[in-house]
Amino acid sequence: MKRIFSQARKELTQLVRDRLALALALLLPLMLLFLLSTAISLTVHNLPLVIQDLDDSSASRRFGDAFRSSISFHVVAWPPDRQPEAALTANAARGVLIIPRNFGRELARGANPQVQLLVDATDSNTARIVQGYVNQVTNAFNQTSGAMAGATLVGAQVRLWYNPGRDSPKFYSPGIFVMGISMFPALLAALSMAKEGEQKTILQVYVSSISAHEFLLGKILAYMVVAACEWVLGMLSLLTVFGLHIAGDPTPLIVGSVLYAFCVASFGTFVGAGIPNQAAAIQTVALGGFLLVFLLSGMIFPVENIPAGLRWVSYIVWGRYYIEIVRDALLQGGGWPAMWFSVFMIAVLGAVFYFLAWLTMRRMQVNA
Amino acid sequence: MTRLGALIRKEFAQIRRDKRLASSLIIPPTLQLLLFGLALDATVSHLSLGVIDWSHTPESREMISTLTESKSFRIGGYYASVRDLEADISRGKLAAGIVLPYEFARDIRRGTPVDVQILLNAANANTATIAQGYAEGVILSYNRTLAAAGIRPKIRVVANAPPDQRGLVSTLTAFLYNPGLVNAWFIVTGTFGILLILNGSVVASTAMIKERERGTVEQLLMTPASTTDIVVAKIAPLFALLMLMSMFAIGLMRVVFGVPVRGSMLLVVASAGLCILCGIGIGTFVATFTKSAQQAQMMAFFINPPLATLSGATTPVEAMPAWMQPITWFNPIRHFTIIARATLMKGSGIDVLWPNFLALIGFAVVLVSLSIWRFRKQLG
Repeated sequence: MKRIFSQARKELTQLVRDRLALALALLLPLMLLFLLSTAISLTVHNLPLVIQDLDDSSASRRFGDAFRSSISFHVVAWPPDRQPEAALTANAARGVLIIPRNFGRELARGANPQVQLLVDATDSNTARIVQGYVNQVTNAFNQTSGAMAGATLVGAQVRLWYNPGRDSPKFYSPGIFVMGISMFPALLAALSMAKEGEQKTILQVYVSSISAHEFLLGKILAYMVVAACEWVLGMLSLLTVFGLHIAGDPTPLIVGSVLYAFCVASFGTFVGAGIPNQAAAIQTVALGGFLLVFLLSGMIFPVENIPAGLRWVSYIVWGRYYIEIVRDALLQGGGWPAMWFSVFMIAVLGAVFYFLAWLTMRRMQVNA
Repeated sequence: MTRLGALIRKEFAQIRRDKRLASSLIIPPTLQLLLFGLALDATVSHLSLGVIDWSHTPESREMISTLTESKSFRIGGYYASVRDLEADISRGKLAAGIVLPYEFARDIRRGTPVDVQILLNAANANTATIAQGYAEGVILSYNRTLAAAGIRPKIRVVANAPPDQRGLVSTLTAFLYNPGLVNAWFIVTGTFGILLILNGSVVASTAMIKERERGTVEQLLMTPASTTDIVVAKIAPLFALLMLMSMFAIGLMRVVFGVPVRGSMLLVVASAGLCILCGIGIGTFVATFTKSAQQAQMMAFFINPPLATLSGATTPVEAMPAWMQPITWFNPIRHFTIIARATLMKGSGIDVLWPNFLALIGFAVVLVSLSIWRFRKQLG
């Protein structure tokens, strides 16, 4: 036990001396958290829209004003003698609304006039949102203009739970917090392990009285401390800057976090032991920690949309389970009944990584 | 010129022997393009919907089947109590819930307006926005079918309102350029831009540092070649290799994802070349500040995430806070993705894309000359 602690202390001393690595460990996760959670969002507002009013009657202007007054759009001026489609090819607008001639007359006659909406669908998600917004504004116009006021027999009362303001950072910031924790402790652990292999200091470890398990646990403990520092800094900013709060029972989060710190530190140690080359180890951890957690964990894009052939990969992506735990603790508050499986999976994956690290470390002896 | 030619030949020979460089230029970009294109899909479909039907009538079942006959929702289960439904939404088993009240069918037959409750898990704001649009659209069309069947609300007659003469405005939506709403087209064109810059910078910084780590820079300096010659000779083969990589990536986008080519390919390739130059400039610049390849890689962790995210490459710029949006104009990736998307999908030409192209030229010139200046200063 004492040997484990002294090994951990040695690792931390080494880390504190390396300024760049220390900045990487403590500043970068925070920087990522602030940068990504403000910048990454899919819910667009204030989209540029061109309205081409071929009717120019009071009704058509009223219809156009409905769009001008919505916060979802800002209306861009476009010369009427130019093709409306050119506004899209010139990237001046996301959509063009064409109000046909005789719009006002038809409306007054009681006929149902149609307006055309051209949407730039190069970004399909935004295109869907544009369509939804335009339909909402049109419905609102229909209702205030009288014709629809009684026509809605079935009304929808939509309730948005857990995040009623549809505040994107609230959803993304826990994911980015997890990405930071998945990446940097693992990266530093891999670097230090690869360094032992590269500089052959692993041989000194073998001749000392420390056992393989003590050595590994000491290293892992040190990087768990790093993860814990990141966790505290990140959690503080989530709770203060991003206005999240712990919903419900915090014990799954606490147990899950400790296990997760063990899991990522073991992953890093395993990679470092397997690849005794610092540059290659960095790339591997970046690929594993960043790409997998970023892509296949449901951090931004739902896991259900991953093609079935790739989806199984997400079941072994450790970050995915931890994201579920953090989101649950901060947004939904499902507690143990909802989260026991995720906590269990993190423990299993952590054990697997530890075992692999132990196996590869035994092979390091032969190579070195 | 012959001096420069000889230096370039030397660099080419060096790179040809570097198997790892060649494989790092082919394997990661391929993997990233494929993975991002296949997995980064924000499409909202098959949301599991929990149903509480207290009405148990043909009308309520029809309402539910209208909701689930599209791809947007699928039935996640029927519930007897709101508490069970709530528990499953909070557990993440359901993305949405609908509650049809006891008097649903009775009120419809009477012509009294009736409300149904729709509960959405809004933790993911994008899903909630789109799901709300779907649900409201479905209920609107359900109302239209009721109206077509002659069931109209009678409340207006009771209120003795004058019969309304005005019609309903409806929108006909045409999705241009990508009528199938293939999300991968957006993602791969963005990823391509990110790849050009990131790979360019990584490859350049390792190549620059390698010479210094081995201490062979001094040997180069002793030759009659000027520092500019040395840097240009270093850049030329990297540029050629990265151009090859970008051709490969364009082929992949075309063949695997079926991205259309509606405009001038030359414009895309030219802007890709400018983007690569920007990447090489950034990489060389970073290399002059660091002592080892490992440090350069760590520095890249600080530079790459802001470059990749503040670009509109994988998420729309309009979704960023207003103060952040102008910053994206200082990002070459932003200009490249605009050019690539507009040319490939919309068929726009240089007549509308010239500001972006000019900006790319500007960035390339500034970044490359900045890196040459730093390199010379460091050697001097």
